[in-house]
Amino acid sequence: MGTIIEASATATAHRRPFAPGALKLADAAARSCLERAHRSAEELDLLINAGVYHDRILSEPAFASLIQEDIGANPGHPPGAGHGTFSFDVCNGACGLLTGIHLADGLLASGAVELAMVVASDMDPQPGVSEGFGFPAVGGAVLLSAEDSRAGFTAFQFATFPEFAQLFGSYVDWQEDARRGLAHHGRNVLTVEIADSYAAQALECAASTARELAAAQTLDLGEVDLLLATASVPGFADALARRLGVPAERVAAPAEGLARAHTAAPAVALESVALPAMRTALFVSAGAGITVAAALYRG
Amino acid sequence: MEKSRASVHRGGRWMALEGGAGSPPGGGSCTSRFVGIGASVPERRLSTDELMASTKHRTHIELERLTGIRERHVVGEGEDSHTLALGAARDALAHAGCAAEDLDVLIVSSISRYFGGLRLRLEPPMSVSLKEALGAARAVSFDLSNACAGMMTGVFILNDLIRQGRIRRGMVVSGEYISQLGHNAAREVRTVMSKQLASLTLGDAGAAAILERAPEGAPGIEVAGFTTLSEHSRLCVAFPAKIGRGASMYTDARMIHKVAIEDSLPLLREALDQAGLEFDEIDYLIPHQTSARAIKKGMRQLSESIGVAPKHVVVTVDELGNTASTTHFVALRRYLEEGRFAEGDRVMCLSLASGLEVGVVIFKVDQLVGRYGHDH
Repeated sequence: MGTIIEASATATAHRRPFAPGALKLADAAARSCLERAHRSAEELDLLINAGVYHDRILSEPAFASLIQEDIGANPGHPPGAGHGTFSFDVCNGACGLLTGIHLADGLLASGAVELAMVVASDMDPQPGVSEGFGFPAVGGAVLLSAEDSRAGFTAFQFATFPEFAQLFGSYVDWQEDARRGLAHHGRNVLTVEIADSYAAQALECAASTARELAAAQTLDLGEVDLLLATASVPGFADALARRLGVPAERVAAPAEGLARAHTAAPAVALESVALPAMRTALFVSAGAGITVAAALYRG
Repeated sequence: MEKSRASVHRGGRWMALEGGAGSPPGGGSCTSRFVGIGASVPERRLSTDELMASTKHRTHIELERLTGIRERHVVGEGEDSHTLALGAARDALAHAGCAAEDLDVLIVSSISRYFGGLRLRLEPPMSVSLKEALGAARAVSFDLSNACAGMMTGVFILNDLIRQGRIRRGMVVSGEYISQLGHNAAREVRTVMSKQLASLTLGDAGAAAILERAPEGAPGIEVAGFTTLSEHSRLCVAFPAKIGRGASMYTDARMIHKVAIEDSLPLLREALDQAGLEFDEIDYLIPHQTSARAIKKGMRQLSESIGVAPKHVVVTVDELGNTASTTHFVALRRYLEEGRFAEGDRVMCLSLASGLEVGVVIFKVDQLVGRYGHDH
């Protein structure tokens, strides 16, 4: 019995007729994911949001609770029977989606929940004001449940490399600005800083973590028939495949324009994959910290 | 991490619940228990009189009479969310009798993530630097965010992982530097109807809780459960301020209090039923600390509806203010230090937080009593 991916979906800004925000993208991805799995929102027991850059840089409530209300996942407690939905946010940068899957895997295994969704979306919350924000506007969702006959996610590996923390950082800080006629002579501004050396270092960290996972699971990396690797920088998956000895044709490639996808990147990678064909898939995400999350999935 | 699985059956419960009579079969055979509670409360105090004297407008708001909050502690030079969390984590480790390298999981659940003054850090997560500062080399680390229910959510997750035998020991920690929301609100609040009124109740604090697998037969967490009533998700929102450094929070305080009490009643019953307990079998109820008046009114309403009341309701908000995600564990740490608990006492922590999050954790304090210098 294992945690399996029932469906995944993404939503991008350019296909939407409305002026989107990260919330709309998350809502759209979540709805699309449920639709693909022929599930209704009421069936959801658990909703985890792993997105970082969302509307108004909201710190409270959990962004997941807004998504839950928008998609109609048991927003109120009617008298009588039924089951509710529990929502919260995971904040682990580009590794957030895999971290959310890891937590959902635990709660599915214990039976505390039966159907879980992990959602992530990012969009510049301050267009024209923020500095260094280069991630595409995209949302992603992954729907998970427990199934007796399949292994699903069989192992997770996490690692942090704090010695490289300065290579990728983002913060909100007050910038004095009297020139623009702002009433309060300044504003809180989002800044994202990614050093040129981040990509190479993330690759090193990801490769070592993936090898640790393989060793712990006695997995020959040559057996991996699908590599889904993300680090918010273009070319990362191909470079990691070369490093690990995974043939190039077994790498899930993101759609055009989404190579820099951030927290939703694993869902973006899943878009190019036929889920039933996944036999031994290796997920690897790297992000600020440097933090690496890796997971082995057996379809 | 080790993995174990069993067949899944959610039953007819509204909350995601673990433990107790109706526990799902996959929940595992282990019991988790609190083994160390830590807190870090800044020395500097700010009285409600001082705060209200700093308002830009003449408000005529009698905040102390309305909330019962006399003062709150606020950060001093060099303190922020990170230092508060770190101090609390070290305090918890000291009382738990274990080392940071014994932690399998480290969860940081702060709403406020300020480093170096009022710079809000989004990435890397705070857990990376805390893990390094503590030396928790083996721990899987991540941040989560669930408003004032953040630490309780972390407890819910750790309890799940420990019960299944996936991990042996974990910590959830939070540092809340939120008094700055009060300073921002003081510049804008005009009347008692202001949606920023609740910001004036906030205080700074860090808290940490360490959970571990209990020896066979030993008491621990009896029931842990959560749900989100998201139809109320927009009643309290916070984001970076428009008027200066830090954040602003806008709350429909009356409505959120009303729905929190009304809607939590059946959920509280559900958790008690799962544990096979009556409300008066709870020795100490620790609710989220918003205001002394709101707590008294809310607990009276809940007790009247259920028909019986817990033996004691813990109130620390009068001296500490609302310290957001840390309130339950700062209160627990204080009561442990004051020697209020006896072995065998049963505690219920009740989260009612923006979202609307409703969370319950029921446990026995046995193993904690005596670790804080008060053997009974």
